[in-house]
Amino acid sequence: MIQHIDVHSVLQESSAGVYTDLVTRPTGRVVRERIQRVIAAGRGEGGGAPAIARMDFNGVGCMDYSCADEIVARLVREWPAVLLLRTLTDGHREAIQPVLAAHGLAVLVEQPDGTLDALGTPAAAVELLAQLVIQRLARRLPGGTFVLLAT
Amino acid sequence: MTRLVDVPTQLDDRSFDQFTGAFAAATKDGERLLFDAHAAEWASPYGLVGLLVAGEAARHRSGGPPPLLTAPTNPDVASYWARAGFFREAAELFEIHGRLPKGKPREESDVLLPVTAVRAAEDVHEVVSKIQQRASTILASELQLDPKATMGFAMALSEACQNIVEHAGVGGWVAVQSYHWRRTLARRVVVIATGDAGVGFRHSLEPTQAKRFGDRWGDAAALEAALIQGVSRFRDPGRGQGLAGIRRYLARWDGKIAIRSGTARIAIVPNWDDDVPLKEGLPAFPGAQVLIIIPEQGSATR
Repeated sequence: MIQHIDVHSVLQESSAGVYTDLVTRPTGRVVRERIQRVIAAGRGEGGGAPAIARMDFNGVGCMDYSCADEIVARLVREWPAVLLLRTLTDGHREAIQPVLAAHGLAVLVEQPDGTLDALGTPAAAVELLAQLVIQRLARRLPGGTFVLLAT
Repeated sequence: MTRLVDVPTQLDDRSFDQFTGAFAAATKDGERLLFDAHAAEWASPYGLVGLLVAGEAARHRSGGPPPLLTAPTNPDVASYWARAGFFREAAELFEIHGRLPKGKPREESDVLLPVTAVRAAEDVHEVVSKIQQRASTILASELQLDPKATMGFAMALSEACQNIVEHAGVGGWVAVQSYHWRRTLARRVVVIATGDAGVGFRHSLEPTQAKRFGDRWGDAAALEAALIQGVSRFRDPGRGQGLAGIRRYLARWDGKIAIRSGTARIAIVPNWDDDVPLKEGLPAFPGAQVLIIIPEQGSATR
């Protein structure tokens, strides 16, 4: 099961529609807590924890290191679901990559063509991909790239 | 009795410790202070923010009437300080004497962000939003920075501002300007300056770091712990990412960072600058002051 989370909407709800940038720890904390509630609610409906939480960053402006840590790194550390990020800008990647690498963590990134990329520590990314393949949620293509099977 | 604090004619990071020395000497006996900037010819964003920090410290220290400030007599200088947002903030701290420019200051293309108060996370959002609207064109056209660098710039600015909100214990200020750096570079630069009159790095990190450093503990050790080792006062393993992120950004774009707190100043010095990495035994000055410089790209000797 994949759960879809629109990060921009969560940010707007968290800031009464005022902010479009994911900056500062307090903002990151509020957004993460809302995302955790969304994921928890999804678990209730499906009867089990979602295997993948797909977080869409479309519409999110700047993301700083504090928010990358407070949202992405903490979710990876504290939540059993695989995080799949999409519609990331280069700026978002720049914030997320070093924060995850510092913790030895990784997330997967869904490319527009459906193939999977990773951010963070390579060894942790390999483990995530293997986990998805075992669960038949992704498969390896002949060229060595991975593609998501579940939607 | 009023004690005089001379404001250097060129108030920037180089002359700042001439200013802090005068400030430290004048604050010894708790008298009212007069900051004399009448002869000022120029001030960098770092200098303007530092002057506000001194004003705030003086105001809170005495508990009496606010400190005095004589404005620059040169109308061009006074006008520039107004455009840089200095007098708007200074009016809340000082009793200002001298002729100030009238009316709303016009926007200046090199003032990417006028001196702006930072007291809470909301202020950081405001600063980041403004800088993205204002700076991206200038950073790309004047400094030949890659568009990727402008996003990183907003991130670095955000982290520098959060440092005030999370560690100072009081509010502070930020200013961003672009100008021609004649001193050692002969290129355009964009400069971020932040400052606060808060508790400073040593006090902020003391509970978690003092024991580890033992006899070496002091302002310089605290700055080294924060900037070089990336430690934070919070035990959360995710903390300390902000300054580390700023360092990575500056390494990529050949930039400089210097942080002054208490009686010490630490800097990561690129090839184009002749600053020293660490200074100790400086005149005591409240809080922390951060200087970030990103040079024009392209003609740099790396």
